[in-house]
Amino acid sequence: MEFIVNNREPVYLQVVRHFKQQIAKRLLEAGQEIPSRRELAVQFNINPNTVQKAYKEMEEQGLITTEKNYPSKITTDVEILKGIRNELIMEAVNEFVDSIKVINVPVEELLEMVKKNYELKQTNHEEGESK
Amino acid sequence: MIKVSNVSKKFGRKHVLRNINFTANKGEITCLIGINGVGKSTTMKAIMGLTPIDQGEILIDEKKIHHSMYENITFIPDTLTMLPSFTVGEAIQFMEDFYVNWNQERAKELLGFFRLNLDEKLGELSKGNAAKANLLFGLGLDVDYVLMDEPFSGIDMFSREQIAKVFTSHLIEDRGVIITTHEINDIEHLLDKAILLDNGEILKEFYTEELRSEEGKSVIDVMREVYQS
Repeated sequence: MEFIVNNREPVYLQVVRHFKQQIAKRLLEAGQEIPSRRELAVQFNINPNTVQKAYKEMEEQGLITTEKNYPSKITTDVEILKGIRNELIMEAVNEFVDSIKVINVPVEELLEMVKKNYELKQTNHEEGESK
Repeated sequence: MIKVSNVSKKFGRKHVLRNINFTANKGEITCLIGINGVGKSTTMKAIMGLTPIDQGEILIDEKKIHHSMYENITFIPDTLTMLPSFTVGEAIQFMEDFYVNWNQERAKELLGFFRLNLDEKLGELSKGNAAKANLLFGLGLDVDYVLMDEPFSGIDMFSREQIAKVFTSHLIEDRGVIITTHEINDIEHLLDKAILLDNGEILKEFYTEELRSEEGKSVIDVMREVYQS
């Protein structure tokens, strides 16, 4: 798991986003144990208090659950897990639409281009992975 | 908590510290930043009681610094102060013999972590390994507060990475750490709090995560604003 820090954005939010992405990609599953705060701080090379804040935020959003003296776990709440995927997709779509709408492309033409580009990148990605 | 209040100091007619105010908490890494000669090391020495101050007050857990408190706070200078003819192993033995609060377990862990060779003489260590050995002698002590002068400067990138790892690990535990640096690059996400000094004065003091969320800036961005204006 690689984690590259952007020093201009709160690091705890970057950690939360990282976990959401892992969940959306199914690299983290419902009920799976996650590293302790200290372990994650070492693994990501970031301040342990920042990790603590990220875990607190994830607890508040219901992404993870923590029982006393046990490692934190990814939630088993299916609705929350589904919501994460949708949230990430909507975030990316919003960003994309905001940046493309200034060019005034008809949406049909745009969707066709998106489809082609997406397929091309996916093939490239698969070729890249099989190397 | 280390509380520095209204501290001023002069060398002759030169003000080396002007009305310095800040706090450094347990469980947090506080970093004094500034180019050379702005008062970082003097501030550290003042906290340790190694240099007198002309005005103000410094309290450690609400008490004034006193010799008896050296069991609870330690200062790691930027160079090794032990005999260069000592091997790493002999130096560790020396620490164990002379300090009641030496934690041999942690020292062994640090030794493994840094992959230092027990038989190597201190005087023959590379710069990076000398910095690691220096840190080991300080962090091996069971104290609540650790002050480190430039732990990251003048060493190779791999040693920097290894030392950075110590700051995120359980080896630091919940101690209060104050470090000084003039090179913030690639360590700013390790810090809780940054204090920017210039000409013996504090120009800015902030929590790094608050800076990122409130202003969308990195510590380096602020340094550019402050030092290049």
